Amino acid sequence: MPIYKAPLQDVRFVLESIVGVERLSALPGYEDATPDLIFQVLEEGAKLCEEVLFPLNQPGDAEGCRFENGVVRTPAGFKEAYDTYVGAGWQGLSCDPAYGGQGLPKLVNTMLEEFVCSANLSFGMYPGLSLGAYNALALHAGDDLKDRFLPRLVDGTWAGTMCLTEPHAGTDLGIIRTRAVPKDDGSYAITGTKIFISAGEHDLTENILHLVLARLPDAPAGTRGISLFLVPKFLPDADGKPGPRNGVACGSIEHKMGIRASSTCVMNFDEATGWLVGEPNKGMRAMFVMMNAARLAVGIQGLGIAEVAYQNAAAYAKERLQGRSLKGPRHPDKPADPIIVHPDVRRNLLTARAYTEGARALGALVGYHLDVAERHPDPRQRRESDEFVQLMTPIVKALFTDIGFDAANIAVQVHGGHGFIWETGVEQYVRDARITQIYEGTNGIQALDLVGRKLGQDMGRLLRRFFHPVSAELATDMENDDLAEFALPLAKAFAKLQQATGLIAQKGLKDPEEAGAAATDYLRLFGLVALGWMWLRMVKAARARLASGEGDAAFLEAKVKTARFYMAKLLPQTGALFITIAAGAGPLMELEDTAF
Amino acid sequence: MQIQRAAVIGAGVMGSGIAAHIANAGVPVVLLDIVPKGMPAGADRSAVARGAVQKLLKADPAPFMHPKNARLVTPGNLEDDLGLLADCDWIVEAVIEDPAIKADLYRRIDPVRKAGSVVSSNTSTIPLAALVEGQSEAFRRDFLITHFFNPPRYMRLLELVTGPDTRSDAADALADFCDRRLGKGVVRCKDRPGFIANRIGAFWIQAAINAAFDLGLSVEEADAIAGRPMGIPKTGIFGLMDLVGIDLMPHIARSLLATLPEGDAYRAAYREHPLIARMIAEGLTGRKGKGGFYRLNRDGGGKVKEAIDLKTGAYRPAERPKPESLAAAGRDLRALADHPDRTGAYARTVLAGTLAYAASLVPEIADDIVSVDEAMRLGYNWKQGPFELIDRLGSDWFADLCRREGIPVPALVERAAGRPFYRVEGGRLEHLTVDGAYTPVPRPDGVLLLSDVKRAGKPVWKNGSASLWNIGDGVMCLEFTSKMNTLDADTMAAYGKAMALIGDGRGAWKALVVHNEADNFSVGANLGLALFALNIALWPQIEEMVEAGQRTYRALKYAPFPVVGAPSGMALGGGCEILLHCDHVQAHAETYVGLVEVGVGVIPGWGGCTELLARHAADPKLPKGPMPAIAKAFETISLAKVAKSAAEAKDLKYLRATDGITMNRARLLADAKAKALELADGYTPPQPATYTLPGPGGRTALDLFVEGVRLQGKATPHDVVVCRKLAEVLTGGDADITQPVDEDAILALERKAFMDLVHEPDTVDRIEHMLTTGKPLRN
Repeated sequence: MPIYKAPLQDVRFVLESIVGVERLSALPGYEDATPDLIFQVLEEGAKLCEEVLFPLNQPGDAEGCRFENGVVRTPAGFKEAYDTYVGAGWQGLSCDPAYGGQGLPKLVNTMLEEFVCSANLSFGMYPGLSLGAYNALALHAGDDLKDRFLPRLVDGTWAGTMCLTEPHAGTDLGIIRTRAVPKDDGSYAITGTKIFISAGEHDLTENILHLVLARLPDAPAGTRGISLFLVPKFLPDADGKPGPRNGVACGSIEHKMGIRASSTCVMNFDEATGWLVGEPNKGMRAMFVMMNAARLAVGIQGLGIAEVAYQNAAAYAKERLQGRSLKGPRHPDKPADPIIVHPDVRRNLLTARAYTEGARALGALVGYHLDVAERHPDPRQRRESDEFVQLMTPIVKALFTDIGFDAANIAVQVHGGHGFIWETGVEQYVRDARITQIYEGTNGIQALDLVGRKLGQDMGRLLRRFFHPVSAELATDMENDDLAEFALPLAKAFAKLQQATGLIAQKGLKDPEEAGAAATDYLRLFGLVALGWMWLRMVKAARARLASGEGDAAFLEAKVKTARFYMAKLLPQTGALFITIAAGAGPLMELEDTAF
Repeated sequence: MQIQRAAVIGAGVMGSGIAAHIANAGVPVVLLDIVPKGMPAGADRSAVARGAVQKLLKADPAPFMHPKNARLVTPGNLEDDLGLLADCDWIVEAVIEDPAIKADLYRRIDPVRKAGSVVSSNTSTIPLAALVEGQSEAFRRDFLITHFFNPPRYMRLLELVTGPDTRSDAADALADFCDRRLGKGVVRCKDRPGFIANRIGAFWIQAAINAAFDLGLSVEEADAIAGRPMGIPKTGIFGLMDLVGIDLMPHIARSLLATLPEGDAYRAAYREHPLIARMIAEGLTGRKGKGGFYRLNRDGGGKVKEAIDLKTGAYRPAERPKPESLAAAGRDLRALADHPDRTGAYARTVLAGTLAYAASLVPEIADDIVSVDEAMRLGYNWKQGPFELIDRLGSDWFADLCRREGIPVPALVERAAGRPFYRVEGGRLEHLTVDGAYTPVPRPDGVLLLSDVKRAGKPVWKNGSASLWNIGDGVMCLEFTSKMNTLDADTMAAYGKAMALIGDGRGAWKALVVHNEADNFSVGANLGLALFALNIALWPQIEEMVEAGQRTYRALKYAPFPVVGAPSGMALGGGCEILLHCDHVQAHAETYVGLVEVGVGVIPGWGGCTELLARHAADPKLPKGPMPAIAKAFETISLAKVAKSAAEAKDLKYLRATDGITMNRARLLADAKAKALELADGYTPPQPATYTLPGPGGRTALDLFVEGVRLQGKATPHDVVVCRKLAEVLTGGDADITQPVDEDAILALERKAFMDLVHEPDTVDRIEHMLTTGKPLRN
């Protein structure tokens, strides 16, 4: 049976020492979000995840969703868990109090999402999609739609979805065919088929609000002719209660490799009534806002999987007795030593751990800037934070989900043959993690977003938000001999990143295929440096606390040692990545298409 | 005949502009106009001309190259001051286009003018034959037409028309004066209506307007096609009409219709469009009126660019059209004209009609095609003249286009029979004559064009940003070739290569000229590259770029051979700094120089501070002590002063008093080369200067001054930061007034100040703003 404990101690460390969580309450609207309150909330959330959601994870995977007569049944216990979840107000944690939300910072929700995803990724899909729909409506819908629908999304009695993909249109949304025809009453009749719709149909809520991309009759071709519509499963009556059934139905659900307790539906829209969200033909813009938030959320899914996988691997490695240490028995009293004595097992564990903790710090920092970008009174600060978030979004999505998958794989490896069988529970993480590298824009697309959109924007302005703080921090830390073993490798890797950035900008300007060929390696290089930056900061914070005698010494010493591992054993991959980037597009493009 | 004194009669926009430009050439000029009717006694009877001079001084762009040139203009009136004409070698008539008024005026000036003086008219519509009718024989011999374009200082075309009686020596002398002294491209035209440029230009405008209406294009679409893609200024047709005044059209049309031969294609093309007639009637005459085809709508506080809908006549927000034809064709003009959509049809119609019309006019309006192309380039700012455009399309392809469009193939195009109108033979440019043979394109004495050199052979060496050319007699020319002639590491490498090749200047190479034929000499360092490097915190590389620039410019300054700069157009920032390090600058009169670095939040880092300081320090007219020179350099750099002419650049010491000015751009390189050879004879490099600088004491004084300016609200917070750094450099940092400081020390201060400033977020904002908007940010 797998185990899970929410990493509250590490979350606290990160929020205090990397983010400076006390700064949140200085933002307008977040006055009440004091560190005490935030940690209290997270402790409660941890309890819910550990006690309610986690126990449903393995059974939910076994049972899966069922499709019966047009209705989707979630696995046993999901409905009760969902009621508990929304009943305690978790759905509206970071939502606007005007619509019944708790009005807590997005950062708090980000940290909670990690717990939820560790505990039960499938379950997390349902509230996650609703929050996505909430964000899109809150930003783009008119007051009428907001007043009618947002309170239901916030209290969780109704759920939400994002209906983008069609059978022939996945990554390339410009070619979607779903139509929206204006009706006399100002609403629209929506007709078309959407596939791969997560939470498209389920039995958790009394109503479901679909956000649907469709084309107006006179819309221009391509992405500039796409509009966003709100299409409820049941049309609300005069009291706002679910009324008559709308022309939208689930045609079937997919049988999937992972997240089997999350329903993935084919949705058929047949002259379904919908309302325009935002402006005509500006749907992609609205969707991008939603997608950016969703991409960060998927990155956090990767982090959640990585954490729970690591916990199980570490626990198993400590208790599994097999063979002896290479240097002779460590536990002669026992029939064999635990496998954790072996360097290679430790390499596996430390790899998962160093990535996971680094990612948590980076995720928290991005989450913090999300709040600053939204709330800071100084427009310049808002803009700078927004730019940081924009730059880091593809990195968080792709890097974190790769880390999640790698950590899940590591967990299986550490378990040996036991990891390969279902009962142990860790192979589920491999299967569940796999989709996170694919949906919300494959990781390859994320890399293209980074080199194609983010890198060159305004002669590299977004890059400044990362390169300048890192450069400044290194300039100071390089002066400090005590930090040499951390700052020096990071400085080297950072220089490689600078060089690679210049190289791609230069080559990519002349030949976009050069940028495309470097994209994935570049994103990884960037991500590794970003995590290195987090580790440098964590070392400094841990040492400062150790010096002052504050905190849990064992925890803090472990931080320093994990940082050392990261700098010495993981960060140097940047050297190889730089070499492959510099090798250019030639080796990828020279083999003729027909020779494949 | 020497023109030592001139007169202009008629102080309107053209007359006063011509007078100003004659003054720019250093020639005293009398400007006469009428005495206003009903003048009270004792009032200034020359008020019209005097007022015109005052207007000239306020006009923007400035008609005078230097305000002091106004002193060369003597205002007067036609009743009291006709006697002044007796001293003038050239009299320009620029009065209203009325043959009777002109004839009367000629009869009045003929008796008082100096014997053998030349009289010319600036008419654009009246045939010379009509002008001289009934005038004395002497007058007819001394008379010709000099047709300037507006504004006379800036438009390079001068159409020169002689009559059967005109003395050829008078015409030659005047042509020479206009070429060398006024810097004009003199094109000899025949005495035909509209001469060359307006004849073709009027047809082009009419054809383009007709086609826009016929094919249903918006004004933006039309201007996007009949603009940049054809090498025509981006204003296109409708933007150009707004600029020159929409009500000018009917005037030109009327005069052409009155004088053009029967059967001229213009007559068939001429159409009155009700919308345009309505616009003129309502005062929508363009930028000078209440709006034109475009207007800026300031209702509601904002500024919204609007365009008129050619169908409805209503204004609507302007769009940025992206015609598919343009995207598909790229730079291929033929593909554009072949594109099936209506914008392609537009390109086809306008090109076929206009080019065929132009081709049908040789030899009617000019002896050769070269004159026609030159007139359209210099008079309408086309990048290529009609025959060059036909060559771009291919003369056989063009003949075919005419057939497809149902236009008679012009005889000259038939004669070309698929051959180009221009070809390069033995490294020389040749053109097709009316009898179907090729003959070299003539270049007057003293004209050396880099483009000719380039046609004749390969560069000595080149990289991505610069090329080195052999311009003969042991002189090398370094040409910038980067986009906008921005400067980067490759530019520095090219200087290095030039120095290595020239060596001690005693071998095959004797001297270096820095010159190019682009619109602008150089707008300075490549900011885009710098910003990207800055964004990714590549500090050491940025510092290396600063140091490399200093190293290179210093090496050029102290090289054992002379270096002559030959700029035209803008020479800003790093482009100005190279001039500061040259032994001699031979500047085109229209050179706009400035150390504008503070506009992007930095200080000149390639020796600009150091050199400008040295120049002021060497000025014997300044009071004693180090501060006056520092204050002067500080003022110039801190205000990012840009000279609006080579003459003004001397005031600001961007140019030395001894530097040369060439009025005609085509003569610039030859003048620079001659100077380089002159200097090469017995050349010794300059001695490094030493500086006496006050250090912190002087800096405090400048800081106080800056603080004062800030308190007056004239300096922004970041201006203060930048100016303090500049003060630190110019006062020598920690210098002690008793210890002379060498150049190296000041250059080191420049570098340090530069690097400190690029670390400032406000500087980054300025650079970014400049790159995205083209304007400085006042943060």
